[in-house]
Amino acid sequence: MRLVNIPKEKYNDYRLDVMFDCYKWDPQFLDNNTIAKYALVITEEEHKELEELTEKIDKETIEAEEFINKNLKIAKPLALPKKITNELKRMKNYDSTKHIRLMRYDFHPTKENKWAVSEVNSDVPGGFAESSLMPQVAINAIGETNFYYKNFGDILAEAISKKVIPGGKIIMVHCTCYSDDRQVMQFLGDKLKSMGFNIIYGAADHLKFENNIAYSVLDGNEGKVDGIVRFTPLEWLKDIKPKTWDGYFDTITPSCNHPVAIFAQTKRFPLIWDELEKNGIKLETWRKLLPETIEVKDAKNKEGFIFKPACGRVGEKISIKEACRDNEFEEILKDVKKHPKEYLAQKKFISKPVIDEEGNEFHVCLGSYTVDGKHGGYYARIASSPRIDSNAADIPVLIERSI
Amino acid sequence: MTGKEVYKIWAPFECKWADWVRPVPFVQIDDEDFKIYRNGNFDIPKINYLNELKEDTAIIVDLPEHYSINEGIALSRLGYRPIPVFNGTAQTKGARATVDNHAVESGLIFGGIELQKIELKQDAPPVFLTDSNRLNRYKLDISIFDNSWDLYHQDLPSAEYFLKNGIDKVIVRGNKFNKDLKKILYRHQEKGMKIYFTEGYEEPKEVKLKQIKEAKN
Repeated sequence: MRLVNIPKEKYNDYRLDVMFDCYKWDPQFLDNNTIAKYALVITEEEHKELEELTEKIDKETIEAEEFINKNLKIAKPLALPKKITNELKRMKNYDSTKHIRLMRYDFHPTKENKWAVSEVNSDVPGGFAESSLMPQVAINAIGETNFYYKNFGDILAEAISKKVIPGGKIIMVHCTCYSDDRQVMQFLGDKLKSMGFNIIYGAADHLKFENNIAYSVLDGNEGKVDGIVRFTPLEWLKDIKPKTWDGYFDTITPSCNHPVAIFAQTKRFPLIWDELEKNGIKLETWRKLLPETIEVKDAKNKEGFIFKPACGRVGEKISIKEACRDNEFEEILKDVKKHPKEYLAQKKFISKPVIDEEGNEFHVCLGSYTVDGKHGGYYARIASSPRIDSNAADIPVLIERSI
Repeated sequence: MTGKEVYKIWAPFECKWADWVRPVPFVQIDDEDFKIYRNGNFDIPKINYLNELKEDTAIIVDLPEHYSINEGIALSRLGYRPIPVFNGTAQTKGARATVDNHAVESGLIFGGIELQKIELKQDAPPVFLTDSNRLNRYKLDISIFDNSWDLYHQDLPSAEYFLKNGIDKVIVRGNKFNKDLKKILYRHQEKGMKIYFTEGYEEPKEVKLKQIKEAKN
């Protein structure tokens, strides 16, 4: 794995192309440029290893979630929000063949020259356009013909087209007040539109459900919906009033993702692995890749553990001291103490940084997608701090052909 | 003009503060549904609250729709670099929406034409332009597309960055001091910056902001 510079004289145009041609509408976060000045190049060997690990770990996740869905009593240690727990029994009719299952596993290179997985983005992974369009813009800027990439957008759109009727109406459900959510939806929506689908953009409460079928209530766009692509996280959905969201849990309208995603989305998922294994679910790849994860109370006198929120996103509220700003670390510890069930303790791994030509070190989070169990491409971010959060920069992932 | 061409007028390469220009309305200029709202009457108002460029002061103009852009151009004549931070998206075709986010796009085109006529220093202090209508959240019923939006901490430079670049004052110019801006600028005040407010007709007055607690999701 190495960093390849976007040529300095081309970078400004590259950044502009990424904004306008690759749906990157949030190129700046506070004082940080979120479009890296590099491409991340992995070898074919690394690609094959990651592809294999990703599909193996995904198979385990899917088997686990389907088992939990049929045996809800073992889900208790996940400590899911009560409003969601109350709806889980609705998912009895879940049929994985009718929906599109999308996940992204976040890999990190470690000091021991191994891979660690920090989490799976099981519910609403993002980074769609960055993983689909940015690599080609980077290849054009770098001018290297020996690089190629896996186009995630093509893979996801193809999977959706297999499960939604041709020309069907698909609603892109997102928080309509956030342009950074819309950019994700707009990329996929435009792609699906070019394939002949009728695309509408709406909020989670623009759907109502009758006889388990989704109907749009969006002004001027009312009627039966043939597919749902959801980017509103389940833990936000539950707060919508009036309660119109429970139908997501038992809809037969093809969904990406179906709420069954919640079991692996909570970072407390590892806390029920022992129970799952007792029931014959294999979790070898997970065990190999995910650092030891325990309850907050069990980490009391143990060295080298960090706290992570069960429903955390983009690196928020992770207690990596050297990556926290101002009094953030103390604030996290206070919150952990107050709400221990909303957190977990995880053994900290030491990330091995990649180094640019000038000797600058960057930590890498290499997201590896799966779509219906098959590897779907990469989305990566780099940061000078070991915690990859909203201040990190998006970086296209290219694969170098073996000679 | 394409959205990208308009963007380049507002965010020229290598200009200080240009990285904060949000691309969203510029991208929407390229939408098939985009329509020019007016046919060229771009009024540039008189600035009553400031007579000259103050190198140690950034301004945030928070007026409805394109009026921030008009005032931003007036301020650029004093030497300020206008930085549009509009972040609202378009509604689905056919749906009524809470905010007309298209209203600023034509302003950016006409304002861009005016801005090209003005010579600004590469490190001119910034005037951030935003749309106070962003906070229109009222939904007649559930079917309405809510494309209201907020400004967040990440949309503006930090206090540290301002201070490092010689700016220790921020003037907010608006019809009122909106809550999202208060939240952001409280942090700046905490780090030693002075915050002023003006409705446009009077000299900016210093305000002491109080912390606004974040709502828990």
